[in-house]
Amino acid sequence: MPTALLVTSVVNTIQIGSLYALMALGITLTFSVIRLPNFAHAEYVTVGAFAALIVSLSGEVNPLVIMTAAFVVGALAALVSHLAVFKPLEGRNVSLYTLILSSFAVGLILRYILFMIADYFDLFDTRIRIPLQIIYREGALILTNVFAWVAPTSIVLVILLTTLLNGTPLGREMRALANNIGLARVIGIPVERVKNYTWVLVGGLAGVAGALWGLQTAVSPLMGWVAILSVFAAAILGGLSSFSGTILGAYVVAFSENTVMLFLNFNFGVDLAYKPAIPFFIIIVVLLIRPQGFTELFNRGRDLQR
Amino acid sequence: MINIDIGATTVAILTLFGIYALMAISLNLEYGVAGVPNFGQALFVSIGAYVAGITYTRLLPLLAGEQVIHPCRQTMGQALQLRSEIMATQPVAGFINLGFTFLIAAVLAGLVGFAVSYVTLRLKEEWFLALVLLVGGEIVRIVVRGADDLICSHNGISGVAQPFYFLDDPRASAVLFMLLALVLAAVAYFYSQRLVHSPFGRMLKGLRENEEVTRGLGKGISLARARIMLIGSMIAAVGGVLFALNTGFVNTNDYVVTLTLDIWVMVVLGGVGNNRGALLGALLIAIMDRITQIAAIVLNMSGSPIEFNYARFILFGVILLLMLRYRPGGLLPESPLTTDAHEILRRVRGR
Repeated sequence: MPTALLVTSVVNTIQIGSLYALMALGITLTFSVIRLPNFAHAEYVTVGAFAALIVSLSGEVNPLVIMTAAFVVGALAALVSHLAVFKPLEGRNVSLYTLILSSFAVGLILRYILFMIADYFDLFDTRIRIPLQIIYREGALILTNVFAWVAPTSIVLVILLTTLLNGTPLGREMRALANNIGLARVIGIPVERVKNYTWVLVGGLAGVAGALWGLQTAVSPLMGWVAILSVFAAAILGGLSSFSGTILGAYVVAFSENTVMLFLNFNFGVDLAYKPAIPFFIIIVVLLIRPQGFTELFNRGRDLQR
Repeated sequence: MINIDIGATTVAILTLFGIYALMAISLNLEYGVAGVPNFGQALFVSIGAYVAGITYTRLLPLLAGEQVIHPCRQTMGQALQLRSEIMATQPVAGFINLGFTFLIAAVLAGLVGFAVSYVTLRLKEEWFLALVLLVGGEIVRIVVRGADDLICSHNGISGVAQPFYFLDDPRASAVLFMLLALVLAAVAYFYSQRLVHSPFGRMLKGLRENEEVTRGLGKGISLARARIMLIGSMIAAVGGVLFALNTGFVNTNDYVVTLTLDIWVMVVLGGVGNNRGALLGALLIAIMDRITQIAAIVLNMSGSPIEFNYARFILFGVILLLMLRYRPGGLLPESPLTTDAHEILRRVRGR
């Protein structure tokens, strides 16, 4: 395998892995704090991407404004789906399958609303518009300012989120909810408010991930849905409870999809058409063989343990 | 305006109803009765369709005494023509081929279902099975699509003709195919009714309600789960064969998570745990499918700026959410099981 290709694929791994981490942390957080494997998470990403796209088309806009718009709209989508759908169901103490099914339904509704919007305003195959510059060039490796936006922004957000969870009162309350919701309520934690904040955080970060994603590829109503199982694979590698494990998992998934796939393609002639099967394979293997994922690597008592 | 042919529409809806009924009954047995969260229903349906794609291209020419032509790439058109000719002129070969298709599809899907149920034993949390099945379906889809020669990758296999294609009158052929679908659905329905009301069925409901208690009563629960997955998968695969024949086309793009969700909507709408509910759900979804299609065409022709095809999915999502929230039992909720002994006891006590 040529070195230039290897380097490009590693750059891709960093870029995509950082985005996966941003999305997968949301999945881990919802699963631990809300007890919901949320498949509608994919659509918060897409909603954020569309919000960013629409703002960026309105003229020369500072990327920070674009990100903020994506955060707000993504957070709104998440909060509305919580208040309108998940909260009433939780109150009725339904089975986990009912919750999973309703998260699929929420995703379906959001996705096809976006299809309608994209169709009506003719937004298919458009990128979020920011001025493109080449910032680094060495042989075949070209880094643009898209890379300079995507990777650092997501890494900074991941660090911020981790700090928030580990070092702030809100983070402590979230961890309490994840650990034992009944006990959290007894000691006077405002459970509903913490849940609302969690949804805002999860949806907002998913929205920003969507905006960043839309910088590198065209925005489409299916973009979140296509990535969701890769993101779930990352969260499952993190045992659906460990933050550090999820972040590592995100890079492992991205590495397998990019570098390992290219390696298999080059040396063993494996068709690139099999690329989407990689995260699925990871999910099945982890669930069957090592359901705790990477959690034990980072067992410091600070994670969202149940 | 377009003219809507009421007769043809009814036949189409009833055919679709038969096919959906098979899929819904299958999921109802697995999830509604036995509590196995099959989020991979598209996998079992797709096994039927893929088998149809393979038998119609490889087995059918042999049965008709012709050479097998490779169905993909350069010889694609030739192979398609040969298929159509055989289906139009040699009905016997067509029927034998269909019989084999059903048989192979059911056996293969049954085996996969049986194997999958043992996966549960290894899983830490129960809902992981939902994820494993969902992902398993996607893996099979990607592998089948990636294998160029199996069902021609992205192109798929067209000309998977209905068994009554040889009749001169296309309407008669459609009506007969509808009857075939309805008869198979009826067989599946009466069989699953018997199954639900048998001791085995009651044990499955016990398994659904509480695994530990059922095991404590001395029932072999893993074998029971394997058996119901075997039966359910076989029914789903038969539905898959009919689904492929109905569209005349086998393409991996049809067997995605959306199909699984459609089947879940049928079961949740009709009534979880109630076979009659599964039938009702299948009928309502078949009607809605057709109506939204017609509405989309009418709206497009009248120059509406909104693409109504997307509305179908939004509608299904809304139905699912409303049912889960306000009528979790479905339109026809499951009624309590009564045995003969229970009946007699009730009469003796005079209540």
